[in-house]
Amino acid sequence: MGDLTRVTIDFDTSHLIFPTLIAIVLGLLGLAIVIRDRARIAAAGSYWRASWSAMDKPRFLGALALTLLYFSLMVPVGDIWPNTGMGFLLCSIPYVLATGILFMHERSLRQILPLLIVAVVGPTFVWWLFTYPLFLTLP
Amino acid sequence: MFEILTPLFVSLIVGGTLVGIIFGAIPGMTATMAVAVCLPLTYSLGLENGLALLLGLYVGGISGGLVPAILLGIPGTPSSITTTFDGYPMAQKGEGEKALRIGIVASLVGGLISLLVLDLFAPTLADFAIKFSYVEKFLIIFFALTVMAALSSDMLLGIFSGVLGIFVALIGTYDISDGGNGNLRLVPPGTEYWLESGFSLLPVLIGLFGFAAILEQAEIGVPKGHSSKDINVGKHSRFSFGIFKGQSINLVRSSLIGTFIGILPGVGGSAASIISYTNAKTFSKTPERFGKGEPGGIIASEAGNNGLTGGALVPLLSLGIPGDSTTALLIGAFTLQGVQVGPLFIGNNPGTWDAMIIAMLIANIAMFAMMYFAIRYFALVVTIPKHILFPVILMMCVIGAYTINYGIMFDVWTLLIFGVLGWLFTKLRLEVAPFIIGFILGPSAEVYFVKSLESFGDVTIFFTKSWIAVILWVLIIGSVAGAVLMARKNRQIAEEPV
Repeated sequence: MGDLTRVTIDFDTSHLIFPTLIAIVLGLLGLAIVIRDRARIAAAGSYWRASWSAMDKPRFLGALALTLLYFSLMVPVGDIWPNTGMGFLLCSIPYVLATGILFMHERSLRQILPLLIVAVVGPTFVWWLFTYPLFLTLP
Repeated sequence: MFEILTPLFVSLIVGGTLVGIIFGAIPGMTATMAVAVCLPLTYSLGLENGLALLLGLYVGGISGGLVPAILLGIPGTPSSITTTFDGYPMAQKGEGEKALRIGIVASLVGGLISLLVLDLFAPTLADFAIKFSYVEKFLIIFFALTVMAALSSDMLLGIFSGVLGIFVALIGTYDISDGGNGNLRLVPPGTEYWLESGFSLLPVLIGLFGFAAILEQAEIGVPKGHSSKDINVGKHSRFSFGIFKGQSINLVRSSLIGTFIGILPGVGGSAASIISYTNAKTFSKTPERFGKGEPGGIIASEAGNNGLTGGALVPLLSLGIPGDSTTALLIGAFTLQGVQVGPLFIGNNPGTWDAMIIAMLIANIAMFAMMYFAIRYFALVVTIPKHILFPVILMMCVIGAYTINYGIMFDVWTLLIFGVLGWLFTKLRLEVAPFIIGFILGPSAEVYFVKSLESFGDVTIFFTKSWIAVILWVLIIGSVAGAVLMARKNRQIAEEPV
């Protein structure tokens, strides 16, 4: 019995012990969920179709697309003026404005004007705060 | 002790509480989101001042949820869900202001009682936990994960979420500073450069609690804000402290339930308020009045959810295990300042400990003063348009993720990855809180587990090391068995013919 419970840890492979154990537990739990919820999983197609049709696709996918674009452009734009944080500032203003317009329900000039002010003042203030008092360079 | 009371320290608590109330009062935004978004600002403040801001946000965020819960029947935060049951009917009867003030007083008492428990209990628990070896430390984490999973709405999915969190936390190097061999694991080829140190905690948290919440709102079309016409504070009913006559037992019991729920890892404020509310109704002489505008219901709910605030800090500061998702974020503030929380924290950092207690006390008083006397103005917070707030919050999330490790763009992508993952979690009914606690505790669990085996060379050591280990196993088995029995009982009730 003593031999069965004894364990020798090889230092060179010690980084794999716990991840392997956790992967096995995760696999077993996944299997248990699949067995228990098989009916629900089998009907998942209709659940996702219903979710998809109920989703506000322009706002959800638009927010994701704008965020992807924002993240992708920040560094290349910043590289034009290195170590100035301009990438953040020049990308954040249109991002805040575009996302705000996307989320808006009535897109009149009266509604857009406060958003425009926030889109300019907000990123500019954050850029100033991090660049000067906090000395943290943004992209 | 009181030298910490600088104007900056007090202003940060008061400012944090104010911002927290605003976040809590806007449906769809939570105390956790407030802490996630403001966390990077603590970078330059130092530990005590940074914690002052975050604790203010925490107390304010939990308390602010009662405003829309009472005035609109929509919980501002998940923890104020039961406040809607009696608060909204009172508001409909023109007693909105009275209901709000009842909730505010109950929140203050809940917060203060939990603070007292924190002050008395955390140092004692920490002193006891100092004696723990790797074996007991591993078992404590194992116990925390089982309790958290057992109290999840679906135990199997709760355990899966927690273990998934551990698995994701193990991505990267087995750190030499933790006694590891410095080798990489679970890193897909080609991503070694970015994932050498795994995913950073704070971008993960900001993604799961900030970005995911906004994606969920975008999915349902970013519901229109409420206009000031929707808000009926009510002018005809006057609040008096006499309402609390006969409610002292309910008040103290609910505060203690909230505190106890807070001590259990990963169990959120919604459980605290629901259990407090259910108890208040069970023990009430007039249970039929609950749900129709009974002040006792608001008292139970608000004392319960604010009781959580101090309780959730007990396991964090004595064992290094967060009590809820917001206190998990506080670990970020400690990490940012290079301080490790655990059994040695209070003894090694008495100044920080005192500062936290004082900050919590001032935050509770500030919350009460601001909300009690200016509740009519806070009621207007629910009218702030979300199309202005959400883009600014998204930008703050980006700033937070980018600056947390002094300018790493991969952290910003991490925020996006985990934001989408957090949204997917809700679709798949996986639970974010167990995932996060698994993610935070995973690396420590690995070190304690492997070191225990390296030191003793026998797996039986986890059962035979000490009497504490035996007690922990009894608690682990008890928590799982209790959850299984409860699930079976609930299933039987559901299957019974009506």
